[in-house]
Amino acid sequence: MDYLHEDQYEVVVENVKKSYDGKKLALDGISFHIKKGEIYGLLGKNGAGKSTTIKILTTLINFDSGNCNIAGYDLRKDSSKIRKIIGVVQQEESFDFTTVEKNFKLTGMLWEVPKNIREERMEKLIDLFGLQEIRKKRMYDLSGGQKKRVQVAREFMHEMKVLFLDEPTVGLDPIMRRKILQYIREQAKNGLTILFTTQNLEEADMICDRIGIIDGGKIVEEGTSEELKFKFGTLRTVKITTQTNVEKYINDIKEKIKTVNYEDISFDENKILILGKNVDRRVGDVLGSLYEMGIEVENVSIENPTLDDVFMRVVER
Amino acid sequence: MRMPAFVRLTVRNIVVNIDPGTLIFMLGLPTLYLFVMGFMFQGINPNGGLVVQYHGIAIKYTTFLAPGIIALQAFTAGNIGGSMLWSDRRWGMFEQIMVGPFRRSEYLLGIIFVSIIFALVGSAIMIGFAFTIPVRFNITLAGIGLFILTMVVGTMLFSSIFLIISGIAKSMQAYNTITILLFFLLDFASTAFYPITNSTPGWLHVIAGGNPLSFISDILRESFISGVDYNSLYYSGILFVAMLIFFVLSLRVYKNIRSGI
Ligand SMILES: Nc1ncnc2c1ncn2[C@@H]1O[C@H](COP(=O)(O)OP(=O)(O)OP(=O)(O)O)[C@@H](O)[C@H]1O
Ligand SMILES: [Mg+2]
Repeated sequence: MDYLHEDQYEVVVENVKKSYDGKKLALDGISFHIKKGEIYGLLGKNGAGKSTTIKILTTLINFDSGNCNIAGYDLRKDSSKIRKIIGVVQQEESFDFTTVEKNFKLTGMLWEVPKNIREERMEKLIDLFGLQEIRKKRMYDLSGGQKKRVQVAREFMHEMKVLFLDEPTVGLDPIMRRKILQYIREQAKNGLTILFTTQNLEEADMICDRIGIIDGGKIVEEGTSEELKFKFGTLRTVKITTQTNVEKYINDIKEKIKTVNYEDISFDENKILILGKNVDRRVGDVLGSLYEMGIEVENVSIENPTLDDVFMRVVER
Repeated sequence: MRMPAFVRLTVRNIVVNIDPGTLIFMLGLPTLYLFVMGFMFQGINPNGGLVVQYHGIAIKYTTFLAPGIIALQAFTAGNIGGSMLWSDRRWGMFEQIMVGPFRRSEYLLGIIFVSIIFALVGSAIMIGFAFTIPVRFNITLAGIGLFILTMVVGTMLFSSIFLIISGIAKSMQAYNTITILLFFLLDFASTAFYPITNSTPGWLHVIAGGNPLSFISDILRESFISGVDYNSLYYSGILFVAMLIFFVLSLRVYKNIRSGI
């Protein structure tokens, strides 16, 4: 019954609980589903349970109760089959104590990638992840960000159905971060299903199809980034600049736009500031009213909420 | 052609571990022992060289020493194997392999195999060097068979011991300290370098006598010098049982290794 939508979902997590010490729950009944080709972002503060979730789904640690299914395989029964179809970039650094190139080659060999494909893929990834200059260097001579790049790139040496990325962009410069996210996006377009954890909200906003906010070991909010912003949007400000001084129309304007449900309005010569929840979606009404009163509008701007606002509100309430 | 998982892991272990440091530890050190100790001790008696009483026969010290140095390869290779688990845990590769297309047992096999390969290759090289000293070996088919078997069992014994240490060590310092202590204790309180004689103190007699490295050295001496007999098979049996005990213990430790350190 749990897997009613078995073919629709590539990753099914249902009511999973996990305690490391038998007392405190690291995961407290977490549930979420990921469709094939979807990028699902797990967003949460330190200790929320992101890595624990990934370690469980990648068969590294056991869980106490609940159900998990990956690409049709039950996590409890078919863990070795699951390991053959997933890719994992763990949060902690991980590399073979040798050169960058050998790290790629060894990954290809361990995954039985045919030799010619191995070489070709390695060249492509080295180019794409900007590793050309350091390809002959030993891993321990690299900077933190360079190591991370190798760690992420290396995982694309082999085929997989589901990819788990635990904070893969920590320590990367903005250009590289963007490049890598773009590459990940492309892979999802080709059908790869991705679970992505991050604390960087901007990043989640950029590449995730859906986001689950995890707190205290369970999903407390879920939706597309737009949905979340809409639901938890903070007060927004609409700023209107007019050609004429509006101070003498104050009472008329207030009366006319009563229905907008603003929380505060202020006037300053030829500027009107309207503050309220979702007031941005009523801009049309406001402009219509001003037009009726013969007030010419020069400029309108809206301050949008960010995913940060959503995150702060959700995890701090 | 498909390579079984443990073979792929073995290949990986070899590639990752063929670095100057490992080679010096595995080959450089014993070579130094063989030549330096061999010649220096030989020089203790300037006329005619140092002679050791072995099974009632008088043999040159170098001939006595060489099988001991070869036996050291089992210790060294086992140490390298155990260190692999340690460094894979330290550098996050243990977890990475555990989420890949492998089983835990295959990872373990990969380590044991690479240790055995290193031990056999290393001891073959040492035998080659020994002949340049020169030594007087009495090569027989049974001797070669027993030599290979002893190296395999001995390496598995030491791999198991070092796997246990790798599995329970919580820090690099702890691991290194234990390893170095073991190295000195097992190396020097053994019959690898010198025979146990009537003048050996009792306590040292006990340590050296119970030391697996002594067992391996003595079995190899029989393989190469005095010939395989009932006695050598008896000692091999004890070595085998010891190996089994430590192997089972190491399996238990290994099973309980949690990810991370
Ligand atoms: N090996 C462990 N032993 C005991 N407790 C652990 C262990 N690993 C994690 N925990 C605890 O489980 C909870 C969830 O940790 P987890 O690593 O999943 O958080 P996270 O969301 O990945 O955090 P971060 O953003 O810092 O990576 C935390 O309270 C943590 O202290
Ligand atoms: Mg984490």
